[in-house]
Amino acid sequence: MQSLDNQPSPRVEFFSGLGWITLGSAIVYGSWTMDRLENLNINPYTAPGLVPGVLGAVIALCGSIMAVRAARVGTSGSDRTAVTRAPIFNWRVALSIALCLGFALGLVGRGAPFWAAAAIFLFLHVFLFSEFGERRGQRRLWRGILVALAVSAGASFAITMIFQEFFLVRLP
Amino acid sequence: MEGLVALARSLVTFLHFWPIVLTLGSTLVGIMIGCMPGLSATLGIALLTTLTIKMPPNDAILILISAYIGAIYGGSRTAILLNIPGTAANAAACLDGYALARQGQAGRAMGIATTGSVTGSLFGVVCLALFTPLLGEVALAFGAFEFFWLAVFGVMMSGQVTGEDALKGWIMGFVGLFVALVGQDGIHAHNRFTFDINDLAGGFSLIPMLVGAFGFAEVLTAMKDKMAPPALRAFDSVLPRFGDVLRYWKTVLRSGVIGVYVGILPGVGEDMAAWASYAAARRASKESEQFGKGSVEGLMAAETGDNASIPGAIIPALALAIPGSAPAAVLLAAMIIHGVRPGPLLMVEQPQFVYDVVAMCTLATLGMLFFGLFLIRPMLLVLRIPRTIIMPIIFVLCVVGSYAIAQRLFDVWTMIGFGVAGFFLRQLGYHMAPLVLGMVLGDILDKSLRRGLVLSDGSLEPFFTRPICLVLWLVIAASILWQIPPIKEAAGRAAGALARLTGVRDREARPRG
Repeated sequence: MQSLDNQPSPRVEFFSGLGWITLGSAIVYGSWTMDRLENLNINPYTAPGLVPGVLGAVIALCGSIMAVRAARVGTSGSDRTAVTRAPIFNWRVALSIALCLGFALGLVGRGAPFWAAAAIFLFLHVFLFSEFGERRGQRRLWRGILVALAVSAGASFAITMIFQEFFLVRLP
Repeated sequence: MEGLVALARSLVTFLHFWPIVLTLGSTLVGIMIGCMPGLSATLGIALLTTLTIKMPPNDAILILISAYIGAIYGGSRTAILLNIPGTAANAAACLDGYALARQGQAGRAMGIATTGSVTGSLFGVVCLALFTPLLGEVALAFGAFEFFWLAVFGVMMSGQVTGEDALKGWIMGFVGLFVALVGQDGIHAHNRFTFDINDLAGGFSLIPMLVGAFGFAEVLTAMKDKMAPPALRAFDSVLPRFGDVLRYWKTVLRSGVIGVYVGILPGVGEDMAAWASYAAARRASKESEQFGKGSVEGLMAAETGDNASIPGAIIPALALAIPGSAPAAVLLAAMIIHGVRPGPLLMVEQPQFVYDVVAMCTLATLGMLFFGLFLIRPMLLVLRIPRTIIMPIIFVLCVVGSYAIAQRLFDVWTMIGFGVAGFFLRQLGYHMAPLVLGMVLGDILDKSLRRGLVLSDGSLEPFFTRPICLVLWLVIAASILWQIPPIKEAAGRAAGALARLTGVRDREARPRG
């Protein structure tokens, strides 16, 4: 379920529109300069760049509409900038992305056994978020370590066994 | 008659120990996924697709369908108890379900939701059995021109009805269509937008993209804000009262029809089915003032509608290879991975499979009834697990799931990329469902447009004049025009004037007493 209570400001919408225009234009350029395979004598209507080019143009068009709409809302004074919005990005997201990237790009497939990589990631994620994210007292530090250890050991063992032994799926 | 025999054969095939165990297990998993706000049916099916990749096709698809039905049903539990819809499809159930819970009737509300879900699902299953062969027969006459418009229609409808801003939905749909075109093209095997990266030649795999957009993005969304496990209030018996069911049989039937119809529409999905059923029930009800304040009829309509739309969404997925919803898109991809070829030729090549799916849906519905009546309390314990524990485990599953399909680390990177992008897009108010539809329909759109142009020698006329094409593009054009504020306002004024005019005529025609 996605929460859309936190609608972005016209300024953000305007720059999003510019972003879509840039992406759409880049796609159109890439499609236009794509090999049309004329040397293979193909039907020109089956050129590989045709459909991506059309889609790029449509994305750029939609981006333009979004940018114009946001600009009009912004100048009309009926925008929603007065409403306090939660930031899109905070330290919790940054920490979670860092841990997830560290696990998926740094540990997985680099020689470490999957169960060990998963256990390290789970321990760090559960411990850091439950201790510092929830701002618990010092007295519960050891409890937090024990919970994180139990979760990481149990979950990494269960996932490895279920996927590898029961469903015969190869793990990274 | 032939169809009935095939259906009986399918039912007999699945009425054995192992399929029943698989159905019950996966329906339970689905209900628990649905119960947990943040975990969607789409993510559940995508993860289970990777888990079942080595299983026989019928077992794997049975698991996925059971989880799909279970997840949509499971979301109503949190909608009723916590006012938080477990999946987007259960948002309409919050209105009256939570109001009933606040009046001390949470158990009754869950019983009503169970009854509505089971009835809606069974109604949808009947429609699935009846309409899939019919639609398949009609679809045999479809050509490249019709499939092109169907693909555009799916993306446009999904974009329009998902979220508050149709423009953002359409952008996501078109981006999804474009992403599906990265890699070798389907006609000349020419590399498109691969930037000489070998792994990109095969394109982005659908399941890792979905796992990223729905799974990793959701993990980040859940971790963004601190949230304590919810406190569940005690509730009364969940056994449904037959009086509630019999009293609102018209509502159940109407919601079933609406649910199946909305489900069949490409890309529209279960949430819209629930809202449309709810709105129709409110309009027709004699006690419409009770809606939103704890109306049994409102809750019944919402839950019947969303569950009826599940088999409804599977109908076009089987007959046209065009899914009716985001979870059905994943189901479609899973069927293709398991060697099934959905589309107009399915009824010619594998007719038994359609009836197998009907039997699977029936079993899953019975599984849902079983858990809904007898095992609600233990299932709700899952809500007590803190997010700080469940979300990193989900991420590990996302990594394993992305890797399991083709044993490529590139797929894990794809999942990460789409997850991070999906998180920021969600924060900016973009929904993922149109993106998924676009990813699934991109190949059909690409091939259909180019083949159509070859057939017509570059003329666009057949795209606009063939009967089915005409209907589709007119609906698409109307939906675009409807989003233009002056036109929308003018249409609203015209509708108001018409309503006033008919009101005056009604009053004049009524005898004065």
